[in-house]
Amino acid sequence: MAAQPLLSVENLSIFLGSGDAARKLLSNVAFKVEAKSVLGIIGESGSGKTLLSRALVNWVRPPLQVSSGTVVYQGRNLLALPEAEMACLRGREIAYIGANPTTALDPTVPVGHQIEEKLRAVEPGLSRSEARRRVIELLDAVRIPSALSRFDEYPFQFSGGMMQRAMIVDALISRPKLLVADNITQPLDVTVAAQILRLLRDLQRDFGTAIVFVSSSFGTIVEIADEVVVLDKGTVVEAQDTRRIQNAPVHPYTRELLARVPRLWHDVGGIPAVNSEPVVLSVRDVARTYEVKDRTSLFGKNRVQAVRGVSFEVRRGESLGLIGESGCGKSTLSRLLSSLEPPDRGAIEIDGVDVATLRGEALLSMRRRFQLLLQDPYNSIPSHVSIGETIAEPLRIHGLASGRKLREKVSAVMQEVGLSPDLQDSLPVGLSAGQRQRVNIARAMVLEPSVLILDETLSALDQVEQAKLLDLFDNLQRKHGITYLYISHDLAMVRRACSRIAVMYLGKIVEIGDNETIFNAPAHPYTRTLLSSVSTVEEKPFLPKDYLLEGEPPDPIHIPEGCSFRSRCPFVIDACRSIEPALVIKAGASAAACHLGMDDLPPPRICTVARGVTGLQRLENS
Amino acid sequence: MAIASSPPQTFAAPARGQSVNARILRLAWRSPEMKVASALFLALCLLTLFGPFVIDASATKISVADKFLPPIFMEGGKLPHILGTDQLGRDLLLRSLIGLRNAFLIGVVSVVLMFVLGCAIGIYSGYRGGWTDVVLMRITDIQMSIPVIILAITILGMSRPNPVTIIAVLVLSGWPIYARVARSVTLAERQKEYVRAARIIGASDLRIMVRHIAPSILPPIAFVAVLDVARMMIFEAIFGFIGIGIQPPTPTFGTIIAGGTQYLLNA
Repeated sequence: MAAQPLLSVENLSIFLGSGDAARKLLSNVAFKVEAKSVLGIIGESGSGKTLLSRALVNWVRPPLQVSSGTVVYQGRNLLALPEAEMACLRGREIAYIGANPTTALDPTVPVGHQIEEKLRAVEPGLSRSEARRRVIELLDAVRIPSALSRFDEYPFQFSGGMMQRAMIVDALISRPKLLVADNITQPLDVTVAAQILRLLRDLQRDFGTAIVFVSSSFGTIVEIADEVVVLDKGTVVEAQDTRRIQNAPVHPYTRELLARVPRLWHDVGGIPAVNSEPVVLSVRDVARTYEVKDRTSLFGKNRVQAVRGVSFEVRRGESLGLIGESGCGKSTLSRLLSSLEPPDRGAIEIDGVDVATLRGEALLSMRRRFQLLLQDPYNSIPSHVSIGETIAEPLRIHGLASGRKLREKVSAVMQEVGLSPDLQDSLPVGLSAGQRQRVNIARAMVLEPSVLILDETLSALDQVEQAKLLDLFDNLQRKHGITYLYISHDLAMVRRACSRIAVMYLGKIVEIGDNETIFNAPAHPYTRTLLSSVSTVEEKPFLPKDYLLEGEPPDPIHIPEGCSFRSRCPFVIDACRSIEPALVIKAGASAAACHLGMDDLPPPRICTVARGVTGLQRLENS
Repeated sequence: MAIASSPPQTFAAPARGQSVNARILRLAWRSPEMKVASALFLALCLLTLFGPFVIDASATKISVADKFLPPIFMEGGKLPHILGTDQLGRDLLLRSLIGLRNAFLIGVVSVVLMFVLGCAIGIYSGYRGGWTDVVLMRITDIQMSIPVIILAITILGMSRPNPVTIIAVLVLSGWPIYARVARSVTLAERQKEYVRAARIIGASDLRIMVRHIAPSILPPIAFVAVLDVARMMIFEAIFGFIGIGIQPPTPTFGTIIAGGTQYLLNA
């Protein structure tokens, strides 16, 4: 028994469709999962990861067809098992968690009840109260705050991170021997993802569950897996021990993957320099509060303080990065900056004109100067209008061109952003996410703006496409002298693209400084936490064990008195409880809103030659 | 620049140059269902338009000698009365065709009007939100609470019923449904990024409502509208039946049935 692996996959091939039109999606995949170990499966989108993880729980449905191979779990071939027997195993001994927790939970049933229902289905003998007790115990174990009252709450009352924890509880409640986790950290913020990873490791140790962890991020995989399987276009190209794959990858594809993992500290090169051109965009003490109905009283209103006094300046031709987790007020700020909503107070000046007070014609002509690029490439362009017409619309609205000239302008801008002008008369239906985002860019660029705000513009794209668009932005900046404001949660992207960086927490900027300072000598504990939770293959100057946060950001209705970060800060002192810190220049040359000096925080760990770097050097030498 | 130098590329596929709508229509035409349905519809239209000229009979002339003739496929039936005659000897096929024409015209015109009115109010209400929305939606609710028949008896009973007043009554009672549906879809669409994108490039509210929101709410509402044409035709028949529809001698479905009811069991 000891020598036999818990799960072994042999020679697995899966086709889409049948006959001549069949497309091979997985071919001859083979690997083994030992009991109580963590196997990581890594691959790009489209490599067949999700399909493989579904095949592990025998969840392959027509038009997908298993043409050959076996998935042997404890001596039984799952793929040949009758549906009734499989149903007994699935959820009981083999659990599965998908990438999207919001659609996996029934929105009409309280979260705890759903898990209880499952537990009682798996163990019919269990009494209601006993089942309830066990669910609450496990909800506690995954650190859902006040699990007792959360038990009766509905999914919409949970945040994304908490829902993912609930899904983990749902999967682990039956004490499975094997857990298949398909890309579970992808939709989460970095600090929450880091918490989930640590949680999975703890649970794996406590319960002795074997985990198949599927992910597209190398940094995440190496943090959790004992062994890594690399999947490329449906074939396993390499299977190795985690440490070995990091240090001595054999297959060229693995090396390529590893080389493509963004570096934040080692070998970064080409960081945009800070310039001293005149200020283009100046934001002064901007705030925005929303009133939402308080459900507990008839006329009560809750005040959601989304943005609480933000100030910064951006110089011509510069790129400023604004980073923060979801709920920190990034999106509200982008709405204020693009004049979709007026701020409650404060001024937003572009070339000295306060756009917050402009109306009508004056605002319309000002709009040409600053454009916002949105995140979602699918929803942000209308689906029933041809691409050319979408790009031409700004020109029509501003009366800048018509007829033949309009068509020529549209063609020119399409070429500039890398779209074939032949696409002018097509609908956006068949376009990839990257191409759609180019349509978006073209629509903004056709107005020849001087400031471009990028609100998570690249976060829906994969790494290759992201890099291409960053190059495009670089080119446009050099050619037209455009000023960028990157609003993002992606630290690696900001590291590459921005000369200065501001960190937002709960509607305020807690630290602002130049790129190097923010990444190497940040003065605010929150900045350090963000840097410690980023998943990467290199050695970090800040480690999760020093900075890992508990819980999630407080909701913007009940912002703690004093320093807003104190409820999660590991270094909290007395002054934090009562006095709200202001932004002051710290030793590291950034401005941070913290009572502590640089000496009160653990010093950044000196980066010796990191494991990831030796791997990289090897790669360069070979 | 590069465009001018490579015309073959740009004009290689002539189908591409057509507008999107033309291509969608062409695509729809490929389905056999579309062809069959269109053919049927066209046949009915032609029949109601040209039937009265082809059939050698009158829909209004009373001829007591020919009363209660059965259809020609039954014993005693005779040409030109294909479907027989009514209690006053008028040709039933002809009366039905003219009734259908009137009902269909009233149905289509009233649905088009209530569609436009309802959507305009619904989109405006949903897009604006706030007090505008509250006031417009309360008006909609009030209108919805008044039964069609009572409204029709009140208005048509006081005026001399003609196609215009009938259409007015139908539009008045029908628009709230469109306003409701249009509003709810608008509320969802308003949140979408493409609306935000349109505002960023400087599109006015009117432009966003007409060019962006209206086309995207079309599919769910068009479906309601198609069914409503038939519903409005039934209402037109009901009005005719209780005597507040288009007045005799012009035949309508309602008056044809009303005239025949007392003889139904004797037949």
